Amino acid sequence: MAFLLRNISLSADGREIVRTSRIRDDLIKVGRDPGCDIRLDDLAVALHHATLEQISSSQVGISAEAGLTVEIDGNTTQGGQINTVTGGTVKVGPFVLRILATEMGSDDIAIDIAKADDNADDEKFDTRRFALQTTLPGKRTLSWSLAAAVLAFFLAWPIYAYYQQRGAAPDAIASGYHADRLWSSGSLSRGHASLQQNCAACHALPFESVRDASCTACHTQVHDHADQARMRTATPDLGGWRRIQASIAGFFGQDPGRCVDCHTEHEGAQEMVPTRQQFCADCHSDLRGRLADTRLGDASNFETGHPQFQPSVLVRWDGETPRTQRVSLDRNPREMSNLRFPHALHLNATGGVAQMGRRLGAQYGFGQQMECRDCHVPTPDGVRFAPVNMEADCGMCHSLAFERIGGTVRTLRHGEPRQVVADILSWARGNRAEALDLGGGPRSRPGDVNQIRAAIQFARARADASPTAMASVRQAFTPDGACGECHQVEAPASGFDFRIRPVAFPVRYLQHGWFSHRPHQNAQRPGRPMVTDSQACLSCHTANGSSDATDLMLPNVASCRDCHGGETTSLPVPSNCAMCHDYHIDQGVPDALLRQQVRGRRWTTTVVRAQPVGAPAAPPRTR
Amino acid sequence: MATRGIENLKFGDAAAHESFLRYRGFRWFKIGAIVSLILIVVYLLVDVQPRHNGGSWLGYTLGAVGAGLIVWLALLGIRKRAMTRGRWSLKAWTSAHVYLGLTLIVIGTLHTGFQFGWNVHTLAYALMMFVIVSGIYGISVYAILPQGLSDSRSEMTGPQMIDAVNTLDKQLKLSAQPLADADSAVVLGSLDQDPFGGNAWRRLSGNYSACANRDALKCMRERLDQVTGKQAEPIEQIVQLLEKKAAALSRLRGYIQRRALLEVWLFFHIPLTFVLIAALFAHIISVFFYW
Repeated sequence: MAFLLRNISLSADGREIVRTSRIRDDLIKVGRDPGCDIRLDDLAVALHHATLEQISSSQVGISAEAGLTVEIDGNTTQGGQINTVTGGTVKVGPFVLRILATEMGSDDIAIDIAKADDNADDEKFDTRRFALQTTLPGKRTLSWSLAAAVLAFFLAWPIYAYYQQRGAAPDAIASGYHADRLWSSGSLSRGHASLQQNCAACHALPFESVRDASCTACHTQVHDHADQARMRTATPDLGGWRRIQASIAGFFGQDPGRCVDCHTEHEGAQEMVPTRQQFCADCHSDLRGRLADTRLGDASNFETGHPQFQPSVLVRWDGETPRTQRVSLDRNPREMSNLRFPHALHLNATGGVAQMGRRLGAQYGFGQQMECRDCHVPTPDGVRFAPVNMEADCGMCHSLAFERIGGTVRTLRHGEPRQVVADILSWARGNRAEALDLGGGPRSRPGDVNQIRAAIQFARARADASPTAMASVRQAFTPDGACGECHQVEAPASGFDFRIRPVAFPVRYLQHGWFSHRPHQNAQRPGRPMVTDSQACLSCHTANGSSDATDLMLPNVASCRDCHGGETTSLPVPSNCAMCHDYHIDQGVPDALLRQQVRGRRWTTTVVRAQPVGAPAAPPRTR
Repeated sequence: MATRGIENLKFGDAAAHESFLRYRGFRWFKIGAIVSLILIVVYLLVDVQPRHNGGSWLGYTLGAVGAGLIVWLALLGIRKRAMTRGRWSLKAWTSAHVYLGLTLIVIGTLHTGFQFGWNVHTLAYALMMFVIVSGIYGISVYAILPQGLSDSRSEMTGPQMIDAVNTLDKQLKLSAQPLADADSAVVLGSLDQDPFGGNAWRRLSGNYSACANRDALKCMRERLDQVTGKQAEPIEQIVQLLEKKAAALSRLRGYIQRRALLEVWLFFHIPLTFVLIAALFAHIISVFFYW
């Protein structure tokens, strides 16, 4: 009974060297220790790693020392057996102990001992491993995979989202995340914030720039600035560069005059930027030169280049119909309202009007003298003034009362001259009847005389007019009478068919420009103190110097220019075109002002910068 | 080639070799600088309402030029495979690549109109900047590191450094034979450790915190204090060998770190260029899809 060991190693040229030894024992030690029967000189092998023992004629037992393992026929274990008839393999560290099948007639157990290939060391020291590449994914793999990811995430997904939204209801689009937002180059303006989720609301068709139809789908009330053909004529000759730009834009189907030319979006969550003065001046500074038939004056800058105001003035009457006409204030137009009214008289601080005002002050809230507001009532929005109403605005002083019966005051009916005539005649007759004591009264003496007298008096009373009544009626319609002092009267040649010329005022004088009285309630011209109430009115409207109702007391451009300059100015109020004029012309407040209001910048006063000390105090200029 | 080019910078014009950075007296640097200056002046002079953006005529022009330039710059990857001389030499091409690539910072930034957001457009811009910055890094390390690379090797080649470690490993194996199992396991830890082990970050940082050789050295030094006499001899020998191996590993790792620092930029520059071209494509399509 013996173990036949065959140590197999390889020479440098790959030749196999076999050293054979025979150990006559049935138990041999395997380990690194020099005392072991099978010495395996590798640090992976313990000093005494395992023991091989012949258990029977056909069984070899292998047992590893405590805490160590061996690999028997591929199984890592602490111990096991190998049939010597079939043979087997035991691996200890890097060594392979191959127990060969026992030859017939032999008791020796043959074991081949060899060290496993040491290729691992060679691989470990591959010089290519100096390169960083060995620790990172390949550049090509990285490139293609990341590029594909970007295309999928930032191109394919948004396109998919677009087509998914096309058929969807707007409500459905408004919620949830849509991948096409990855394409949004910036937040929408605040006005369009609700469309942030809904790209297709404006970008209706792929590869087609935003069309006006997308805008007008919501903005149904927006006016064109002017006829497109006239605008093209009015547009100044484009320089070569801008012409090239326009032709390139045209090549891509972007015709000039589109909404988005001016209304750019994706510029951040901001309000619409105020329109620059130059934007208007581009065409309007020399409009007459290009558009010969225009009725507009050239304008480039309110301070330095703006035509005189041309208010709509009531210049004449066609019968009962008032006719207004735009007339430049430079032509000193008269207003033919058919009213007779001396403003100066009413605003006088010392005259009879003031005296009457003081007397009625407690009842009507008048002060020491009449103020503008005592007669003129602003409209609720404060922009302009309600038409003067005789009963409400004049009637406090200009009473049409003619009789008191008990506690009731009878008044003539304003606006109905025939009724006035009738009322006066009736009053005259009634007074006489009462004087005649037509009632039951004290009993009179019987007799013809009294009866005849009564009959005559009745007849007189019933007559249409007595000389006194006729005089009263005529008196009312004379220029100093109750009617004639304010109205123009058309007196009949005979009889009582008096007529009053109709009265009218334009509700709005400046049709194409915006003016609101509200921010001008307090006014302070440069170098002057701030004024309020009537003084604020009078700083623009020279009513205290007007004795004739035909005076048109509108302030002219020069008056406004005391405070209002151009877009950039040294004057207190920089004023660009959009302050008074709307590009999309309508009758309302210019959008620029509306936007200011929405943003909380309301004008309750026109605050004027204090003049530097010593600066000449300019008097208020008016027409 | 690039490495040599930079190394020779310091030799000035007298040197027979002219680096691609100095090519023809900084011709492409001058061209790039003049173009950048002109573009900045144009940008400041042109009044785009309401503010500069990629959709104005200037924005479109800058965008088109920038996109074309990006594609041309990327073509260096193909062009570099054919080395030629003369006016259109690879050196001229590389010089232009560097300086026009830097000009792209101006072109791209002005194209954005300084409007950035979380979108595909800014993604493309950010990628472009990453690519350029990685390129600047690449040029910089090529200028700085090669000197350190040869210093770190102590005039040794890479295989020589490996051989040094390998030889020490073999000596360790032999010397450790008499050691007890517990001690030999410690030495085995050092032997089993792959000197090239660790991920890219470890190579770049040079931080091998879990170095088995260092642990083994520490452990063996402690053992040396514990044992005396005959037992101490093999351990003393092991400690010396482990110390030598520590020095060899340090040299090797320093070399690996410099190699990594030198090579890492390409792992950004090239893949990011591809990603940039993809993002650029998505950017252009998206702009005209939602025109």
